Amino acid sequence: MEHNVYLPRIGEIIDIKDEVKGTRPIKTFRVRFVDGPIFSFRCGQCAMLSVFGKGEAMISISSSPLVTDYLQFSILKMGRVTSALHEMEPGSLIGVRGPYGNGFPIENWKGKNLIFIGGGIGLAPIWSVLQTALLKRSDYGELMLIYGARTSQDLVFRTELEQLRSQIPVHLSIDVAEPGWSEFVGFVPQNVLDKKPSPQKAIAITCGPPIMIKFVIKALQDLGFQDDQIYTTVENKMKCGIGKCGRCNIGHHYICKDGPVYSWAELKQLPQEY
Amino acid sequence: MEKIIQKSAFPQWLKSLQAFKIFLPKRASYGWELSSNHELQEIPEDYTYPVVPPKKLIFPQEEIFFEFEQNPEDGIKLKEILPEAEQQVIFGVRPCDGRAVKAMDLVFGGTYEDPYYWRRRRQTVLVGLACSQPPSENCFCLSVEGSPSSEEGLDILLTDLGDRYFVKAITEQGKSLLSAASSLFSEPGTRDREAREKIHLEAEKKIKRHLPSARELPERIKAIFDSDFWDEESLNCLRCGICTYLCPTCHCFDINDETKSLAPLKGRRVRTWDTCQFPDFTMHSSGHNPRPDRASRLRQRLSHKFLYFILLFDRFQCVGCGRCVTLCPVGIDIIEVLTRARNHGA
Repeated sequence: MEHNVYLPRIGEIIDIKDEVKGTRPIKTFRVRFVDGPIFSFRCGQCAMLSVFGKGEAMISISSSPLVTDYLQFSILKMGRVTSALHEMEPGSLIGVRGPYGNGFPIENWKGKNLIFIGGGIGLAPIWSVLQTALLKRSDYGELMLIYGARTSQDLVFRTELEQLRSQIPVHLSIDVAEPGWSEFVGFVPQNVLDKKPSPQKAIAITCGPPIMIKFVIKALQDLGFQDDQIYTTVENKMKCGIGKCGRCNIGHHYICKDGPVYSWAELKQLPQEY
Repeated sequence: MEKIIQKSAFPQWLKSLQAFKIFLPKRASYGWELSSNHELQEIPEDYTYPVVPPKKLIFPQEEIFFEFEQNPEDGIKLKEILPEAEQQVIFGVRPCDGRAVKAMDLVFGGTYEDPYYWRRRRQTVLVGLACSQPPSENCFCLSVEGSPSSEEGLDILLTDLGDRYFVKAITEQGKSLLSAASSLFSEPGTRDREAREKIHLEAEKKIKRHLPSARELPERIKAIFDSDFWDEESLNCLRCGICTYLCPTCHCFDINDETKSLAPLKGRRVRTWDTCQFPDFTMHSSGHNPRPDRASRLRQRLSHKFLYFILLFDRFQCVGCGRCVTLCPVGIDIIEVLTRARNHGA
């Protein structure tokens, strides 16, 4: 009998960091397997995490594939499984299966300028690409990050973002003005139009709430980006992760297997049902 | 391999298959079922087709993936529960249901093989029974590239010639079922072949319902994706899910954890049939739902069968059994809806 795709490996949470507190809390978890090294994966791929007794949830891997000591997941507390994960402590055991999905085609992006555009927890899948580009800095052209959240308290990776400023341009935004905030105030698409990244030899990678993605794509098009220069990820409810259980499809694509990464040129061909 | 077996010898054939778990049609309160009751010795003359298609014997409505147990000393232990290695022979599989298993194979195969499905599938022999009469007034297999005597997906196809069966063994597995009792089978003569041919042809003529030019449907469904057509057609839907639960090709499922005790944590992960017709099937934990209404869910069901599956596998994910038409409590008729879909806006 071949490997059972539904059987998770056991992972140990080795580190938990509070990213965002309050009513929409986000925590970042680092996980390693108890039975051996982590699996290899591509930027933008996901893993199905189990909290035994609660169920499974598909979460994007936010660490770089070049980091092989652990898998990193940044998780917004939302449903049954993510709420249970938020209750856990370092040393807690979870199930992990994967990796799933197509991932970003970063091997085609060598020599290109990469524009990262994130909103809220949507920075997580982007973070994997960004970290990889930083570790293989000479493979890519200029890098830029445009990232926003509702309030300054909702920004994830804040310590890392401050460190990042010494390496690449980082443009943050919050939706509504706050005392002491010196950067852009407004929605992420507006910040994109304000910072005017050039489409020359560029790839834009955007992830965030669906409404943000929609207007970021429009902003990028206004700046001259072609549809095949814009990449995004799609989210849907998932159970199997392998294109069989039938719930994450957009048209004939199963997001768990054929996605979650699409260029806008690809995604606009599919039914707009997501 | 083609043979003849007298119906009087049929029980002896069954007896020769003692190594297998045998399923035969049995009358139930709600219609026909496939039963492994040992007293069954024949395929009854008035058998039509099982209400619950044979998919349930390969892809059961509920199955355990694994058991989990957690305690402070040993961490988490998982115990994989694969189906028992039991060979089964299903008699009386109608050709549409045989083709449905073939369609199901495509879903559960591919890059990621489903170990639970394939463990059962590889231990299952499908003995088909060609339809002399359409089992239902809503049969429309001819419209979706099937026929009352289709062999696809079957290991053996029986044709009822009155006092005897014409037995065509299609696969090696099918042939091996005959070799166990070879003395019961004789060579078919010209008369047998002609009788078989006649029954197959006449059965086709008896099918009353048709969905003409079904290969044109993918383009039409695509063209009316955003139309209000789906709102009108889905108005009566009760979202009971019967159309999908009893569909021989529908495969959607859910995976859930069932907890037996909390300290120590003990439980199991189970797979159950699920349906695209339930509102929470696609609902995100945030509350966002990409298919929030009956219209988008009916569109999903029909698009999956007549557009998406064709794009993926170049075949319909519908075998024309008519169960969803017959069993829908509010009369949503896939043949009529699709006929209207083709004409909508044309």
